[in-house]
Amino acid sequence: MYDAAGTVSAILAAPLDEAGLIRTAQRGDEDAFERLVRMYDQSVLRLAMNLLRSPDEARDVYQEAFLKVYRNLHLFRFDCSFHTWLYRIVTNVCLDHLRRRKVRKEESTVVETPDGPVDQVTRIVEEGPAANPERQLWNRELSQGIAAALEGLTPRERTVFELRHYEGLRLRAIGDILGTTEEAAKNCLFRATQKMRARLETFAPGSGQGSAQL
Amino acid sequence: MKCAEAVEQFPFYSYGEVSSEVEERVESHLAECASCRQDFAKYRSFLEALDQREDVMEAALLTTCRTDFRQLLAAETAGKTRGGGWLETLRDLSRFHIPLRIPVGAMALVALGWFGARYTPEKFGGIRAGLTQPMFSSVQSIEPGNSGQVQIAVDEVQRRVVTGSLGEPRIQQLLLDAVREESNPGVRVESIGVLKNSADSEEVRRALTDAVSHDPNPGVRLKALEGLTPYAGDASVRKTLANVLLKDDNAGVRVQAIDLLTAHHDDSIVGVLQDVMQKEDDNYIRTRTRNLLQAMKASIGTY
Repeated sequence: MYDAAGTVSAILAAPLDEAGLIRTAQRGDEDAFERLVRMYDQSVLRLAMNLLRSPDEARDVYQEAFLKVYRNLHLFRFDCSFHTWLYRIVTNVCLDHLRRRKVRKEESTVVETPDGPVDQVTRIVEEGPAANPERQLWNRELSQGIAAALEGLTPRERTVFELRHYEGLRLRAIGDILGTTEEAAKNCLFRATQKMRARLETFAPGSGQGSAQL
Repeated sequence: MKCAEAVEQFPFYSYGEVSSEVEERVESHLAECASCRQDFAKYRSFLEALDQREDVMEAALLTTCRTDFRQLLAAETAGKTRGGGWLETLRDLSRFHIPLRIPVGAMALVALGWFGARYTPEKFGGIRAGLTQPMFSSVQSIEPGNSGQVQIAVDEVQRRVVTGSLGEPRIQQLLLDAVREESNPGVRVESIGVLKNSADSEEVRRALTDAVSHDPNPGVRLKALEGLTPYAGDASVRKTLANVLLKDDNAGVRVQAIDLLTAHHDDSIVGVLQDVMQKEDDNYIRTRTRNLLQAMKASIGTY
């Protein structure tokens, strides 16, 4: 971050030592806590965005999750990795949002337009420099198919799938994060994969290039 | 292994979540069953199609989240250290504002503008006298005065343009600082793109290896790897590359790391390569690693 003189804050340039940072933050050092947040907040926000597909809800998750971290950091005893502990908090907050959304029967980010249903979040991504129009059409259709397929999963299946497929976490770590066994996470992933595949098999990719039989 | 069992293992096999025994059984089944091979190819297409989903992550959203959180934290810590009072009540309210998304800072900024315009005569400069408009403002504290005025401490960041040649220390320092500009991956990529031509400087090389090891954005890590290409033979760079190969969560970055490592045969990384064979999910990287180990006449696994 630049200050008025155009230099980077020294605090953010210093080498990072996670365990030391956590201990310092546990003693009430706010700079250390901020650095700890900065180490993870991009991936936390990305996970929340991808799970919830809503910038507003992702923003709420960010605030709620890191506030919980701040309030409970003194309870962290290094008996698991900080990443696991943090993701446990974040996924619980995300799961709460997903479950509340189910209860409220809230609409997804897909909205009806004169050109058919459009995922608002996908639209954010696509509004960049114009690429091949056929490719764009294919990507949009596929992204919407994936978004719809993800919407069809239970909150837990969706979280396991997101963490395994998109975040690349091991099933054992996912089990730790969700407070369950590796085997249960594996079963959840299997169900999620089956559902995703079934939903995307019926998905017609159109005539665009890059289509593949799924 | 029967076909049904093999098909059931496809998701876990693809993610590298099976034991080596199951892995071998799936592979030998695939080797002899054309129908399952075809099914597995379709399954891989399905996984590749899923990767078409793009991450939706706006830099502006991250900045907003950070600003809001800093204010939320200020309210939280103030609540811990102070007694009651209307200001504390106001700060406490910010907690309840989370779901409503009305940060206290936004209201404070409105107040700042209002008071600034009303009480600061323009002939004396006031807020308008600044050289540039603030790029980013963050309210750090609000203190009510006795005469109905309010004192607001605002951190502001302003933009200025600095021009100079790459050889100038201050330009190089700014570029090195920009490599660590945590809120803007675009700036990090650009600065690495410029700096990589000066990677013979130890400081620049250290910045590149730091970026490769710690930058959260895979695009930035790839750019930094590109800058390290001419130095892939150096022991310290190779150590970094080996770590990337073992720990980076992005397959594209790991692919580039193995490509750079492959360019130089070095017995000291045999152990790392054997670890990669144990842990790596990506078939391309596994193949490259296996070939490299074979070329070095080392065993594929550890015993």
